[in-house]
Amino acid sequence: MISKAEMQALVGHTFPGGSCEIEHWENFLLTEATGSEPLPDDLVHPIHLFHVPIAGVGTSIAELFSLAQADSDASVTIDYYDWEFATPLREGVRYSVTGGVTEHERKLVENGPTVDSLTFRIELFEEAGEFAARATFRWHFWRFER
Amino acid sequence: MKATVGEAIPDWSLDRVSPERMRTAAAIFRDPNPIHWDPEFARERGLEGGRVVNQTPLNVAYVVNMLIAWAGSTCIRRLRLEFPAPVFDEDRVVAGGRVKTVSNERGIELAECDVWLDRDDGTRAVAGVALVALPESGPSDVAR
Repeated sequence: MISKAEMQALVGHTFPGGSCEIEHWENFLLTEATGSEPLPDDLVHPIHLFHVPIAGVGTSIAELFSLAQADSDASVTIDYYDWEFATPLREGVRYSVTGGVTEHERKLVENGPTVDSLTFRIELFEEAGEFAARATFRWHFWRFER
Repeated sequence: MKATVGEAIPDWSLDRVSPERMRTAAAIFRDPNPIHWDPEFARERGLEGGRVVNQTPLNVAYVVNMLIAWAGSTCIRRLRLEFPAPVFDEDRVVAGGRVKTVSNERGIELAECDVWLDRDDGTRAVAGVALVALPESGPSDVAR
């Protein structure tokens, strides 16, 4: 099992960063998957603040699992999401994206698994540098091997 | 549009959480976890009938849809949500909310609301707080 020190060392890790643009097809299909009609005026459904920051900052869900040495794809659960919107996201707008790992906590469950909790924070900015949105989320990585 | 403390936000419901929609979401999210799209994997994990688990962001989206139907497409300023229980395919879910506080920030009316998502058996799957900007008139569009 990955050591507590190795996990703690992930705090301060920054992702490569980059940029993203949400295309119409993606917004249409994902909005439909939520059970909603498409939103007007090229507005992007807020659900995109889940995966767009992850892709835009230059990583992926699989890479986040790997970064924390997840036991398996099914050993990761979500503690919370905190999504902030300074402005609604829109199709066809290019956002620059930065972010990284901000916190780690390890808990030991007596006669049970160990859980490492990592907090990620990723921010989107419009082309002129204006802050657009922030996704902060904490995932639990369950370790069943001692 | 005015909101009052204690006001209930109209419910938003989805009669059937669809595994097909989960697959669409998994592909767009690039989410490798088979618990969202492989019934056999779900069965091996002890989930009765091989029912797959809805992606948490989709559960968030149902809460979002409720807020948009109430206050319009650009209303959401902040969402902080926790997830006490999963939602499975074929579940019926209902999103609800209630206004906690109302304030005015630089001329914009803001409502802080308790929000949630319940399964039809009464299990709470999502719970948290939303900060919503209220439009000057009613919502101009509706998320059904």
